[in-house]
Amino acid sequence: MLKIKHFIQQSWLLIAASFLFGLLIAVTNAGLDERIKQNEKDKLNDLMKALVTDANDFKIEIEGVQIPGKRGRVTETDIYKVLDDDGNRIGFAFVAVGPGFADKIKLVIAVDDRCEKFFGFKVLSSNETPGFGDKIKEDYLGEQFKGAPAGELELVKAGKVEEVDSKIVAISGATVSSEAVVKIFNTYIDRVREQLQAKGFIHATKALRHEENKSELK
Amino acid sequence: MANKSMDSASIYKQTLLAGLWRENPVFRLLLGMCPTLAVTAAVKPALTMGLCVIFVLLCSNIVVSLMRNLLKPHLRILMFTLTIATFVTIADLFLKAFALRMSETLGPYVPLIIVNCIIICRAEACASKNGLVVSIIDALGMGVGFTLTLCVLAGVRELLSTGKIFEAQVMPDWFVPWAAMSMPVGAFITLGLLLGLVNAVSKRKA
Repeated sequence: MLKIKHFIQQSWLLIAASFLFGLLIAVTNAGLDERIKQNEKDKLNDLMKALVTDANDFKIEIEGVQIPGKRGRVTETDIYKVLDDDGNRIGFAFVAVGPGFADKIKLVIAVDDRCEKFFGFKVLSSNETPGFGDKIKEDYLGEQFKGAPAGELELVKAGKVEEVDSKIVAISGATVSSEAVVKIFNTYIDRVREQLQAKGFIHATKALRHEENKSELK
Repeated sequence: MANKSMDSASIYKQTLLAGLWRENPVFRLLLGMCPTLAVTAAVKPALTMGLCVIFVLLCSNIVVSLMRNLLKPHLRILMFTLTIATFVTIADLFLKAFALRMSETLGPYVPLIIVNCIIICRAEACASKNGLVVSIIDALGMGVGFTLTLCVLAGVRELLSTGKIFEAQVMPDWFVPWAAMSMPVGAFITLGLLLGLVNAVSKRKA
């Protein structure tokens, strides 16, 4: 009994302050939560609109797609359908995350309606080195993904930037960040396509059907 | 009576001015080096960080000063940390709600205000030993001193790394931006030079 009394005497202020401060944070969070979520949604919508210029609206098509990562880690992402002014689906978009040079890179990636070509990507958040790694936000890298085949991409150190193919030319001085972006694409695209096919939103492409037939023959 | 109020006014003035020069947290006490080096690549994030620190410092000094007579000596640091963490979380939530882009620019450095030595130092050295008015004035002096220092450092770095201040072109067309100034090396060099300058001025004054 004496021990409890001693404990309360010593720590009552700490306990009271913890409750009071906790309440203060809870009230602030409750007041701002809606606005914070709306801000994040607006930012995502703005970036997706910048990616797909004909887009008018975005709606979640598949929720919680699991993307397997390194060391058994699994990240989840939602796949959005991109709608034009008439409400027709013109593509899909999703948020993709992966390790960069300094910190995680978060991208918004968009593909066409048949998941055959990329519309491109926009950087949702990154902490890459200013003047070097943060050049991933510039058109030099971004333009190379526009129209590129939605499959395994390859990073090359030199090549023709204007050629639209699966080869992405790295930014000089930001090879690690360029590689990180390409890795993020490669990690996500197959899994996203699988999910879209599984749910019947797209049909298997010729290349994929060929691969499937080959594996069946084996 | 008149002398007493004169003394109080003098104490308040000295407390306020201490943070600006004599006990400037960055140039004289070398506290808060993490945000000083990390968020001073441009003036806007530096100013935002400074305002966040003023808010947290002011709130924590008020709370610590009000409960100073109830504090148990062995639990005081825990109480300071709890108080600071609360107001840092609130500042972070406000930034996310009203300045999302700035919140993303500042990244983890807003939550890291919790471990900023300036705030815990003022709680220990001033707020836990003085009344409410002195604690408020001390928080304002130290906070403004810290913010001004950050802005000066950021001004030099932004000007040399981009040729701009507040995103407005200042340097002539022929100026070639020094990209290194926006990187950590630029922060260390600028801080070192400004510390040397402040020391030289202080010596001359003495």
